[in-house]
Amino acid sequence: MREDKSTKWEETKKSIIEFWQEFKQVKYGLVGVALFFVFVLLILLEPYIIPFPEVNDRWGDVNYWEENPRKAAPVWTNYFGEYKAEHEFIRETDLDIKDLGKMKMINGSFIYDFDYDLPPKDLVFKANGKGNLNITIEVERPDGKIIEVVRRGIRSSGERVISLSLGNGGARRLYRFAEAYESEENKERFTADNVRSMFVLFGEAAEGMMKKPVPLVGDYKINYSIAAVGEDSMVEDPYLIVSGQVFGLFGTDTSKRDIWSGVIAGIKWAMLLGLLVAIISVTIGAIYGITAAYFGGRVDTIMMRIFEVFRGIPMLPVLIVLSAIFSPSIWLLLLMMCALYWRGPVLTIRSMGLQIREETYIEAAHALDATHSRIIFKHMIPQVIPLCFASMALRVPMAIVIEASVSLLGLGDSTIVTWGQILHGAMNGGAVLQGLWWWVIPPGLFIATMGMTFAFIGFAMDKILNPKLKTR
Amino acid sequence: MFGRYIVKRVFFMLLSFVIIIFLYSAIFNVVMDQTLRSQIHEMVQGEIMGMTDSTPQEIQIYREQRIQTLYARYHLEDPTLQRIFWRAVGILKLDWGQASMLTSSNGSRDVFKIVVEKIYPTLLLFGIFAILDVTIGVLLGMKKAQKPGSKLDQSTSIMTMVVFGMPSWWLAMIFIMIFVYTIPIFPSGGMGSVPPPEGFAAIIDTIYHMALPILTLLCIGFWARAYMTRNIVVGTLQEDFIMSARARGLPEKKVLYGHGLRAAAPPIVTMGVMSLLMSIQGRLIFEGIFNWPGMGNLYWIAVQQNDIPVLLGLLATTTFVYLAGLAFLDVIYGFLDPRIKVGGKQ
Repeated sequence: MREDKSTKWEETKKSIIEFWQEFKQVKYGLVGVALFFVFVLLILLEPYIIPFPEVNDRWGDVNYWEENPRKAAPVWTNYFGEYKAEHEFIRETDLDIKDLGKMKMINGSFIYDFDYDLPPKDLVFKANGKGNLNITIEVERPDGKIIEVVRRGIRSSGERVISLSLGNGGARRLYRFAEAYESEENKERFTADNVRSMFVLFGEAAEGMMKKPVPLVGDYKINYSIAAVGEDSMVEDPYLIVSGQVFGLFGTDTSKRDIWSGVIAGIKWAMLLGLLVAIISVTIGAIYGITAAYFGGRVDTIMMRIFEVFRGIPMLPVLIVLSAIFSPSIWLLLLMMCALYWRGPVLTIRSMGLQIREETYIEAAHALDATHSRIIFKHMIPQVIPLCFASMALRVPMAIVIEASVSLLGLGDSTIVTWGQILHGAMNGGAVLQGLWWWVIPPGLFIATMGMTFAFIGFAMDKILNPKLKTR
Repeated sequence: MFGRYIVKRVFFMLLSFVIIIFLYSAIFNVVMDQTLRSQIHEMVQGEIMGMTDSTPQEIQIYREQRIQTLYARYHLEDPTLQRIFWRAVGILKLDWGQASMLTSSNGSRDVFKIVVEKIYPTLLLFGIFAILDVTIGVLLGMKKAQKPGSKLDQSTSIMTMVVFGMPSWWLAMIFIMIFVYTIPIFPSGGMGSVPPPEGFAAIIDTIYHMALPILTLLCIGFWARAYMTRNIVVGTLQEDFIMSARARGLPEKKVLYGHGLRAAAPPIVTMGVMSLLMSIQGRLIFEGIFNWPGMGNLYWIAVQQNDIPVLLGLLATTTFVYLAGLAFLDVIYGFLDPRIKVGGKQ
């Protein structure tokens, strides 16, 4: 018995090696396998290559993404066209605290080296603070001009995060600063409400600084002075966020989320869902088809009638309505997809099964009094396994697109990040209208690339298994 | 003989439809009951608002009686199985109830009216797409089959695989960004301009609005059609009668289009109808990106409004269109290839 098993294993090994030898001949098949391993590698390396490792749990959490710029383009766009300010945190500060008993004077400054064509989206002063605080922030520009940008009183009984935007909070003062240099025409066109204050702050003090300023490069000194009134008033850990025009490999969306992190986190879900749906549904379909073929006659007729009813169900619409009503988790969605998609390979497998049934070794098995299930699983199913693999490979892309389509409508599992979810956000956030291409292209490109990967593998297998397709 | 075959196909199609409707009715029983109950309560509340000169007691009695009659009319008090049965019968009798939010173009809240007016745009869009898809696909496929293994054959086969898993709606989003907002040559969506032009201009206007959606679908679609045609024709070209035709010295063009294509016609026609059906069942939501006022767009709107009755009506319609397509497919297949005896004795 043991000997029997080992020879069987040898045989399997031999046939796998043979298959691989043939598979190697198909170039795009190899490309597919290579791409597959790239995706696997990306899944394994996920925690090391994404800047926001908590993306999986906190994709929908606004606080997690708060310090990112909104709608920032990818960093590499700087190689084409204008050089846009990058995202930076400036923590280095010469903090000086004078304790005057009932009040503290806290002074400090940040140095920002501005060397771009386009200014950052905003400068945000952040600190932990408590008590009665009067904060003044001024900016000392490279041309020696000093602008007091923000002056604000903050009162808070408990400790909290202070966040002051120089762009919004300083719009009026910066407008007034620019007024001294700007032409009458431009002054009429812009008001303190619609002036782009960062253009003014980082532009040369000359005519046109509201409209299209010449960038004033150099070191900017952002001075802050805080008067903390009251004994337990305090300010800790001040830092400056330079909110970049560009951010990360794939930029950010309207909710400040890093798209690169989201897309990379989506790989594993696409792979998992695609593979599981493909494997389960093809297995069910294969067993169904073979069983119908093996028994034939009335069983076959009944099974085929049931199959025909299933064939008449439009799958994606049913899935959409089911998802709209039951708002399923990813696992329930997977189950529903398996329940609908098993019918795919049935017809092909059944017609193969009808041929296999007539083979002499099946007759021999009958003569040896083998049970039905033994004949089906031991003698017939192994014959169609190669075909099943090809069928599975081609079903993976379909499953991924289906999940993405359901998610696109906003019916997906919102607790995880999938490519469809990201595209749903893009669709709802008006990415197409606003031209935020970095929000739309990467997730879809990943869907398409993963589909292509499995298509390469599946078509290559198909070519080997279908000698008729061979080029003469 | 053929007539009997058609009748049989249509009968089985209708039977499948009835069974599927019963399945839907069973799956969506609970949620439909809830919707119907809340609709009844809303309606009765509305009636009571108009009864200004009644005592509170009268109103209370009226409310209870009215709700009871309405519950009885819609079989809401019956046991589950009977409710499933009556709902399925209702759907089959085209009594699809009232929408919770949406209305048809002339303001009716009848789900049937809302859904039915969306069939034409969908069939128009996907029908024209399928015709172009099959024409281009078959022509390219024949070219591919002429010289299997050539540069053209290989490169177009690779293209088939490249676009294999590409969602059509994603490409639509990209194309809209490029061809509507960056280089404005196409309208952003919809089926016609506002105000609608008249006469011949109206047709031009519709074609203009249809151009980008169809272009998008074609970019993904015809490669697969060409690939399948190629495989079928390459298989046919290995048959003996082709060899004999070649041996007789017939020109290669005639061998290919006269003998090869004719023999390969049944599967190719199947493929064309399948292309339309697959688009209808798999690419419907594509319409939503272009605001094309068809069934796919209605899926989007109904999902957003959470309008369950409309969703179910849509589902019944989609299923019917899909099943009718499948039956049609079987019928022409039987017509083109008399060897096919579906359900016949072996």
